[in-house]
Amino acid sequence: MIEVEDLTRTYRRAPLETQVLRGVTFRVRRGEFVVIMGRSGSGKSTLLNILGLLDQPNGGRYVLDGTDFSRAGDDERSAARNRKLGFVFQQFHLLERASALRNVTLPLLYAEQDPGDAAGRAEQALQAVGLAHRARHLPSELSGGEQQRVAIARALINDPAVILADEPTGNLDAQSGREILEIFRHLADAGRTLVLVTHDRSIAARADRILVLDAGRIVGQETVASHAAGAPPGAAGHL
Amino acid sequence: MNATQWRHRRLARGVLLSLQLLAAHRLRTALSVSGLLIGVAAVTVMVAIGAGAERRVLERVQGMGANLLVVSAAPAQRVAGRPRQIPVYTMLRAADAAAIEQESALAVAAAPAVNGSMVVRWEGVNTTTIVTGMTSAGLRIRNIVPASGRAFDDEDDRERRRVALIGPTVVRTLFGGADPVGRVVRIRNVPFEVIGVARARGVDPVGADLDDLVVLPFETATRRLLNIPYVHTLFVQARSISELVGLEREVREILSGRHAGRSGMLDAFVIQNQATLLRTEREAARAMNQLVVSVALLALLAGGIGILAVMLISVRERTREIGLRRALGAKRRDIQIQFVLESAMLAAAGGLAGVVVGLAVAAAAAMFGPWDLVISWHAAGLGLACSTILGLVVGAIPAVHAARLEPIAALRTE
Repeated sequence: MIEVEDLTRTYRRAPLETQVLRGVTFRVRRGEFVVIMGRSGSGKSTLLNILGLLDQPNGGRYVLDGTDFSRAGDDERSAARNRKLGFVFQQFHLLERASALRNVTLPLLYAEQDPGDAAGRAEQALQAVGLAHRARHLPSELSGGEQQRVAIARALINDPAVILADEPTGNLDAQSGREILEIFRHLADAGRTLVLVTHDRSIAARADRILVLDAGRIVGQETVASHAAGAPPGAAGHL
Repeated sequence: MNATQWRHRRLARGVLLSLQLLAAHRLRTALSVSGLLIGVAAVTVMVAIGAGAERRVLERVQGMGANLLVVSAAPAQRVAGRPRQIPVYTMLRAADAAAIEQESALAVAAAPAVNGSMVVRWEGVNTTTIVTGMTSAGLRIRNIVPASGRAFDDEDDRERRRVALIGPTVVRTLFGGADPVGRVVRIRNVPFEVIGVARARGVDPVGADLDDLVVLPFETATRRLLNIPYVHTLFVQARSISELVGLEREVREILSGRHAGRSGMLDAFVIQNQATLLRTEREAARAMNQLVVSVALLALLAGGIGILAVMLISVRERTREIGLRRALGAKRRDIQIQFVLESAMLAAAGGLAGVVVGLAVAAAAAMFGPWDLVISWHAAGLGLACSTILGLVVGAIPAVHAARLEPIAALRTE
């Protein structure tokens, strides 16, 4: 699903030149739940931005769902973000003045094909994260955990090839964080491909595989036994 | 649904969402459009006032009779001495009117008229007024119609009957407003029966009272009262106001031809052209209009700057929203369109509110005040269109700013 080969990224701000990624190579299989770990400054956010087509590498190859995006233009990457990717952010990033349902339908606004029944699909997505009863609420009327669930529903609505999450539990209390993590686990068990960035070991434990990034290189890789690829799918089959 | 239809619906949904977000910022939205509102309202009112003034002028000029050329005998040059009356050239003839009617291609009708300032008396009340003698064709050309009683006709004229049509001002001064039809007044001591009262026409553009007059049949006036062989005035009517200039040229040629050989003929008559008169009036109106347009432009400019400022603040405030939308798949163009549309919607809302307020004020002023206002839907529509276009233009600046934002940086702002 994801093929990354010798990816490099350098930030130039004269007279300084910072090499953030120094040749990263890995693959993510369809249906795999991969966590990228690393200290701050290790380059994990930059890597996620490139995977999310929000940033472009200086060198190397990035193939997402069969398409090479290493040299893709802005419009092409925008369209792919909409069609192939779902984002979950640490700060949720919901529109404050719009209901949960409206927030979930937001990506459909940028779809290139008619998405059909937008509200119906949004309701379905909210149901998948257990928030159908909160569809009409504003973000300010929801708890942090609920807000992040709305964000996950938003990431799901376009049926993306990959869901990317950047410290999705970083702003949540322990209990809500665990709930969010369970949703991700269910999604992975149902065949979703997930890439999650965190520095939290306890989160990493729920993934299938962990990549450890340090100073712009992958320095370690481990497979989590209990969730190894090919594990029996979980109960959340409807996702 | 095909791709084009979906693009349109997508745009409509985007607009709906934008409206919802704008509506949530009630105070700021209201403040941002208030400048435009006040400007457009002021312009709407001023246009109504200007149109009212123009209509008044037009009505009065047309009240003299439509598409009119007035040929007057010119005051004679004074020979050294002490003229006691203003003498006039005496070569215009009633036959000149007939000749113009026949020979001029552009003249629809022509009629002679004589006049003099005379004392009119009824039961011991005296008033001095302009007594005019004209044919019934002259009445039609000058647009003099009876409000009560009747006008004289060709037979009255031919028979030189002593009948008179009098203006409302004379009715007031002589009869104190009582119905004068059927009474006998004396003009220069000759008795005349009042057969009708002319419809009120107000004052002409120069300020002369058009209702202070007595009109007699042409033959009656020239033969029984004045005993003169010449006429003072010829009224010539064109089909339309645009033909007046050509008509004036024709009339000059015809008159010069008919009176050739007489010395000083060129100065013997003056021609007043209603088109020229209107042009003068219109020039005054145009000066007023230019003022209105300048004020309108200033108001729009001020309103536009207001919207620009608010939109720029809005882009800054919503940087994270922009980043989010980009992350969710919005292209630079989508962001651009969104902000241009928001700006246009703000401006249109301000313009619409301004038009409504302006029309309401104008209508109220016309209803309760002494002002003569003409409500112009044309101007209202123009104001609305201008505001919307202004919004589109002004919105381009923040839209470009917004579209230029890098999604990662935009998402990271606090």
